[in-house]
Amino acid sequence: MTRTTSRRSVLAGTGLAVASAGCVGRVRNIVSREPSDQLMLEIVTVPADTDPNAVRIARHLSEHMNEAGIDTRIDTVNLDDLLRRSLLNHDFDIYVGQFPEAMPFEPDALYSFANSRFAAESGWQNPFGFTELAVDDLLSEQRSAGAEDRDAVLAELQETVCELQPFSVVAFPDAVTAYRDERFDGWEFGHPTSAQGLLRLSYVPPEEREGTDTDTEEDADADESNTLRLTTTDDRITENWNPIAVEYRRHGTFTSMLYDPLVRRHDDGPLPWLAEGWEWLDSETIRIDLREVEWHDGEPLTADDVAFTYEFLEDTSMGEAETPIPTPIFRGRSTIPESVTAVDRSTVELDVGSVNPDVGARALEIPVLPEHIWSDRTELVSIAGIAVDEEITEALVSPNDDPVGSGPIRLVESTAETEVIFERNPDHFLRTLDPLEEVDDDPNPSTGETDTDPVTDARPIPNAYRGKPSFERIVIEVVPSDIAAVQQVGDGLADGTLSNLGPDAVPRVGREADARLVSVRSAAFYHVGYNVRRAPLSNPRFRAIIASMLDKTTIVDDAFEGYAAPATSMLAASPELVPEELRWDDDRGTDPVHPFYGSNGALDTDAVRDAFRDAGYRYNEAGELLARDQ
Amino acid sequence: MSVLLSVVLRLVFWVGVLCFIAGIALIGPRRLYELGHEVVPILRDAKVPIAGLLVVLIVSAVGRSALETLSRLVGIPLTGTIYALEGGFVAWLQATFVTPEATIYFSWIYVYGYVFLLVFPFIAYAALPKTTTFKRLIVAYTLNYAIGLLIYTIIFAHGPRNVMPDAVTSLLYTFNPDFQALTSEVNENTNVFPSLHTSLAVTAGVFGYLTRREYPIWAGLSIWLAVSVMISTMYLGIHWLVDVIAGIGLAFGCVYLSYRFIEDEEPADGSDEQPEEATADPGGGHPAVGDGGD
Repeated sequence: MTRTTSRRSVLAGTGLAVASAGCVGRVRNIVSREPSDQLMLEIVTVPADTDPNAVRIARHLSEHMNEAGIDTRIDTVNLDDLLRRSLLNHDFDIYVGQFPEAMPFEPDALYSFANSRFAAESGWQNPFGFTELAVDDLLSEQRSAGAEDRDAVLAELQETVCELQPFSVVAFPDAVTAYRDERFDGWEFGHPTSAQGLLRLSYVPPEEREGTDTDTEEDADADESNTLRLTTTDDRITENWNPIAVEYRRHGTFTSMLYDPLVRRHDDGPLPWLAEGWEWLDSETIRIDLREVEWHDGEPLTADDVAFTYEFLEDTSMGEAETPIPTPIFRGRSTIPESVTAVDRSTVELDVGSVNPDVGARALEIPVLPEHIWSDRTELVSIAGIAVDEEITEALVSPNDDPVGSGPIRLVESTAETEVIFERNPDHFLRTLDPLEEVDDDPNPSTGETDTDPVTDARPIPNAYRGKPSFERIVIEVVPSDIAAVQQVGDGLADGTLSNLGPDAVPRVGREADARLVSVRSAAFYHVGYNVRRAPLSNPRFRAIIASMLDKTTIVDDAFEGYAAPATSMLAASPELVPEELRWDDDRGTDPVHPFYGSNGALDTDAVRDAFRDAGYRYNEAGELLARDQ
Repeated sequence: MSVLLSVVLRLVFWVGVLCFIAGIALIGPRRLYELGHEVVPILRDAKVPIAGLLVVLIVSAVGRSALETLSRLVGIPLTGTIYALEGGFVAWLQATFVTPEATIYFSWIYVYGYVFLLVFPFIAYAALPKTTTFKRLIVAYTLNYAIGLLIYTIIFAHGPRNVMPDAVTSLLYTFNPDFQALTSEVNENTNVFPSLHTSLAVTAGVFGYLTRREYPIWAGLSIWLAVSVMISTMYLGIHWLVDVIAGIGLAFGCVYLSYRFIEDEEPADGSDEQPEEATADPGGGHPAVGDGGD
């Protein structure tokens, strides 16, 4: 599928296509029939307004690839279109994007990300089309391995994946948030703009604020209602609230606050959420006791809803389609349980087979959906009564504009591309929890005791969450760029920024009098994804040379202003799991597996060309890398 | 919202002041005063072009977001191709010419100068004895907008500041983030090809040149402003050179078409003047713009 064409024929081809307003792809394919033309690859990513870092990585790579004789183009598209192309349609050569999980994740996340079993599915499960039996075996092995053996399996897994490079990990960014703390307190702890972070924030009533007497005119202001005002450049949350619509979700922060999970991932391990507690009945069965809670529409949340959710995530048609239509998200988790049974109204049993306890707990990190709403969304999509696709159910494409969840927030109203308003769910179970006896001085519960006993994992909800959320409303305003987002915080029009801040925006935070900056290492690593279905990206040698054209140190310095850490393994957010050979060493300053061809950001073109020649690729006299007739 | 409101109020205020000064100086207080009494008949005379302009503006305001969605779905993605065509021209422009003073000047031009350049001709041409130029101006603006909107839908592309932020600084928004509240309200960041800023400014500049007998000072001023707007779109990293060239082409096309659509009226005086210019306009405009560019 890789289009091979000379520069001249590209220009002629595009001119023709524009003139006829026809399909570029077709024209390209026609001109591309002659063999041994320059290799042309396209890097797809989002524009700087949406994510100031991703496009810089793409630029870095494309400049280097061009120097190496590959005709490389950058195509910027909107974030949902990027996900549609890369995750749903697999219509890309190379993409630059972020991993969807911002909190340090269970290594089992790799299971769906690199498993050949999911290569034909759409979604975050194996968008690369990577198929490697050795990796599949290791992925299964790490699920069943005992605690002592698992580290070794994971080490081997990381080494194999790094060697084969279906994707290149570039860097783990610092999630930088600009905030002001006179109205809300608690931004410094953990990930402030994750669901956990937002829930922990405390409202500061006007009388307790510092320097209250100086801004008396503000007291009369309408904004005294405790509304948390946030800004983002990502307008998708104003249009879609479907927790399984993968192209609309970044980290799923707000959908996870609309739809409570059984267990919420936390800095120091899972927190019992809808599941009040869980225990291992034997080595293969988890029993969950549910809290007594209601859906936003007043219906009770029961064990049947939980059992339905697991079945639904595996097949959103609930058996109606020819073949199961799984969700494009939560796929790794939904494959863990072999069966889910509602024992009684508030008890669920998961038969997870022989997996280790950490993986078993990960199976509980799924949002619970109400059966009485989602069971009506199982039919195949149709436009005007005609089924248009055999593989899409209503549930996957519904904007879910009246989300009935059980979470701490409810949707109030939204203006597409402008603003969305959520309100606190007054009946949420967090509101009814009294503070624990032992007063925990540290509002960040990460120092609390970790109950590693796999038999009963029912530690109490930490004080930082009890009685929360303390905001009555959340208003998220869409702004055109990261700079505008910081400006809103500086001007006192917003309390915090949600979306990524780039190197032009970060220094501004310091210049705004009342704005502060907090940064937390995010697990949502930036990576370069290769479409392994397409030659020559199907060749691991080729991918390895591309990976060696990434100077991760320079990228971190230039594109992130240092607010990121270069990395080799996708598990670098959990450093204890990364084997010695894959750790990033700042002294060495380059990738241990695929070291950069060059130094100080400058590419050694000759070295790259030699590497390509050694791998069997050819150059013409003009120094263009030729695509072999595949 | 309040950011947007303050930007709009500032804009209205400054453009109002500029139009007032230019009106007194270029049209004359007496003629302006008379114009106040003739507004209704002039507008009635030009009701068809005005209605057309309003329709296009309303379609643009209401449908822009829907058209942008359509463009994302079926539009031709051209960002990579445009970049491959012109390379780092805009980056070079910024690397070579950026100074703080120039940034202030071009930011000012991009917002205030541009709106003034587009608005003042309405007053100036309404004050002419015949409404022909007034109507042609409206028709040309309308065509610019309508064709621009159509091409925006067919072609999906982002501007240089969004594609190479490492080499092209988004100067306008970095130094005046408030302005982005306004521009994002009236435009999408995918609407770059062609540059409507350029095409509308050049349209006003060409009309300025064509009415040089009536308003000799405005002819020079409008061409100066048009060229400045053209440069500012690239200097500020918003448009590619390709967008600007397409914008210039669109402008001349629209002026030409406006002469085709609006016939010269029965002459009140100087009857042999207008047709001559009508045929001469596309050629006549070129050197003027070229002069300003140097």
